[in-house]
Amino acid sequence: MKKKRLIPVLLLRNGWLVQSKQFRRYQNLGNPISAVERLSEWAADELIYLDITRDNCYDMRRDDLGHPNRHNVLEIIKDVSRAALMPITVGGRIRSLSDIEKRLACGADKVCINTKAIDVPQFIEEASREFGSQCIVVSIDVKSSAGHNHVVTAGGTRPTGLVPQAWAKQIEELGAGEILLNSVDRDGMKTGYDMELLIKMTAQVHIPVIACGGAGEWKHFAEAFTQTNVDAVAAANIFHYSDQSVYLAKRFLFEQGLNVRRPELLEV
Amino acid sequence: MSTVCILDYGSGNVKSVFNLFESIAGRVVVSNDPVEIARSSHLVLPGVGAFGSIMRKIRDSLPIETLERMVLRDGKPFLGICAGMQVLASRGMEFGEHAGLGWIAGTVEQLEATGLSLPHIGWNSIAWKQDSPLLEGLENESDFYFVHSFSFHADIPDHVLATTQYGKEFCSVVQRDNLFGVQFHPEKSQRAGKRLAKNFLSLQ
Amino acid sequence: MPRTPMQYCQRCVYPHVAVNLSVDEEGICASCRTAEQFERMPQEFWLKRRALFERCIEEAGKSRASDYDCVIPVSGGKDSYYQTHLIVAEYGLKPLLVTYHGNNYLPEGDYNRDRMREVFNVDHLVMGPSVEVLKKLNRLCFRKMGDMNWHAHCGINTYPIQVAVKFAIPLVIWGEIAWDISGMFEPDDFVEFSARVRHEHDLRGFEWRDMLNDPIERLSEKDLSWAKYPSDEAILKAGVRGLFIGNFFKWDPYSHTKLIQERYGWKGAENAFERTYRKISNLDDRYENGVHDLLKFIKFGYGRASDHASKDIRTGYMTREKGIEMVRQYDHVVSQDLFHWLNYVGMSEAEFWTTADCFRDARVWWIQDGQWWKDNIWGKPSAYGPVHLPLDARRKYRQGALKHLARESNRAA
Repeated sequence: MKKKRLIPVLLLRNGWLVQSKQFRRYQNLGNPISAVERLSEWAADELIYLDITRDNCYDMRRDDLGHPNRHNVLEIIKDVSRAALMPITVGGRIRSLSDIEKRLACGADKVCINTKAIDVPQFIEEASREFGSQCIVVSIDVKSSAGHNHVVTAGGTRPTGLVPQAWAKQIEELGAGEILLNSVDRDGMKTGYDMELLIKMTAQVHIPVIACGGAGEWKHFAEAFTQTNVDAVAAANIFHYSDQSVYLAKRFLFEQGLNVRRPELLEV
Repeated sequence: MSTVCILDYGSGNVKSVFNLFESIAGRVVVSNDPVEIARSSHLVLPGVGAFGSIMRKIRDSLPIETLERMVLRDGKPFLGICAGMQVLASRGMEFGEHAGLGWIAGTVEQLEATGLSLPHIGWNSIAWKQDSPLLEGLENESDFYFVHSFSFHADIPDHVLATTQYGKEFCSVVQRDNLFGVQFHPEKSQRAGKRLAKNFLSLQ
Repeated sequence: MPRTPMQYCQRCVYPHVAVNLSVDEEGICASCRTAEQFERMPQEFWLKRRALFERCIEEAGKSRASDYDCVIPVSGGKDSYYQTHLIVAEYGLKPLLVTYHGNNYLPEGDYNRDRMREVFNVDHLVMGPSVEVLKKLNRLCFRKMGDMNWHAHCGINTYPIQVAVKFAIPLVIWGEIAWDISGMFEPDDFVEFSARVRHEHDLRGFEWRDMLNDPIERLSEKDLSWAKYPSDEAILKAGVRGLFIGNFFKWDPYSHTKLIQERYGWKGAENAFERTYRKISNLDDRYENGVHDLLKFIKFGYGRASDHASKDIRTGYMTREKGIEMVRQYDHVVSQDLFHWLNYVGMSEAEFWTTADCFRDARVWWIQDGQWWKDNIWGKPSAYGPVHLPLDARRKYRQGALKHLARESNRAA
């Protein structure tokens, strides 16, 4: 049977890898690539690499390190592709078919679109037709207020007036291959995934849903797998908190008897 | 010393396939030149995208006669990956009916996976149906990375080398003599993928 | 990036180019934000963390392949004493102290280090690489990355873990959470020691393999066996984890120092340091506050005094005004240990300056009238000494010279 996936997310902001808390606070962790090498060594199932840079500036502000200081996101993606032993989804600032093509040419296996899909839903259809739906992931950022979930975009700053379930259905109809579902409220909060949201959303669509936002312990991954129908769980910050983190998470899930890959270590 | 020719027909990203073979072969080229094809010891056909679109690109860019001579007549080892496996079939049913290369009798149809999410994206295991040097050293039930919505239905059961369970059982590895097709992506499948690629290169 | 005027944190004295730092929209740096969070943590938080620490020790105690409960990497400094005090006096555990000896100890540092096994009643392993190898690494790393102390960052963050793995000792007890310098993590992020942070931040992205190809300083793999970080497999097999005391107990260097001075006779520096006002830091390495840190100033225009003042401002020991005074007084000083080092490694002062100047960051420094100029936190820019670069290497330090970097990043993507 197909295994459930555990997918680390790396966030790139102005040339730095960062932590994110509720899409508001960011902390620089280091260069864009060292973390990718570690994930490869831990045989991560996949990698989601999101560029959350607001302007066009990529600079680690020093040039004396053992790693190159890249000023261009495509160069960074090439580096990521070289270091990654797992399939990569690249997202962030994708506005045109050309943007997609460039990223695929740099080594991305899939791309993730958000704001552009909200502004021009037809773009999902065009992209799927051009590159194949298995290549196109659409991410939905969800915020909650007064007990209602609503879709936001542009890094969580702009309301869209869309309801998550309806938007997900539309995304599927337009031909996307997967949905990456982000809870803005739970981002970096370590309180676990929004189970209710996950259950509601997976009931709407037949394409795989990847949950993101809220993981603080390995057991949160297990909960999402046993209590909801998500195809995959994703997390960003947590994998930076301990060494061999992804390996240990996989081992935890595997030893619990969940339907996941056997943990292993690879040489990069 | 193996020399691999990755067939170039504008199928998109061949980087990962190239990187995989470069790490284990003597020489790797990405080409559609009949001379390179003739010179290489092994041929690889990658592919991502819709059946009809891929076949069109193949007919436009690849020297099919040369290939058929090298592969079907002269027995050069050939590996089709993902859509590169699917086009080996007689016909494909994605967005209408399209003729394939017809090198291995069969039809490519949508996966039947009621209740399960589609496309089939992620790691799944393969169960061998027969012994083969391609699967040497791989544990039965090894996991490989899949990403597709259609699968190969071989007319002749003997051509099915391995199957995978997703709702129903579907053919994940197809073989006819020196011709191999894998539905999954060995270049994305870490240790198992590398092993399979090495096995492929050890074939004469 | 186009040289915009240097931005300084509104609360501490860090410039925005400080290592790994980010400054938010309110002008407060990530390190101040993290410190703010730590200061705000209620008693309850620390009680929970203490309980967590006790659980970690208990867990580790279960898999006892070794007679030692933990490894404590120690230099003999104030932090070493405090960590050991906590483990031995408060928790009654049996640690193995491990020291990487980089051959740069001050006499007070030697004294403090050597007394540890006496005052704490513990076993203590001290490992010093060959002095010839050290001298080669001093010179090589200075030329390669503008840091002669790379060997120490490497040894301190590698050798104790090698020992833990070799002897299957399940815990390595570190002290201060090093990232509070850059605000990389927050109190709620319960962070353990990781190979990535070591590689990127302690070792600047260089490993022992990178030291084998130097045409001038010939080094072999055997020279660097102490520098090899154990594999994931070995670490997982031995079950070794690295924990930071600062994650479990509120970190307060001044009160720690008072405790260890009174209880264990720990000695501070006899003479004041030239480049900082603190007398309690870095006695294990005469160059840490000296020429090694001078290079930080040469690269990025800020030094140890900025680090210490920023820390002290955050914990309420100093006002920002006083901190700025400290920066003005100390950051730029060319300390005398420079000559000690030149003599130690056999390098001329001229070569030192020409090499050092190659590392000046053009985001910070520009050249005017043959002098190095930069912005200052207290007011107008000023000059900081003559330029030792050949003419063709000076081009990028002209004002406005960095616009090409802005152009490059606007291209493509």
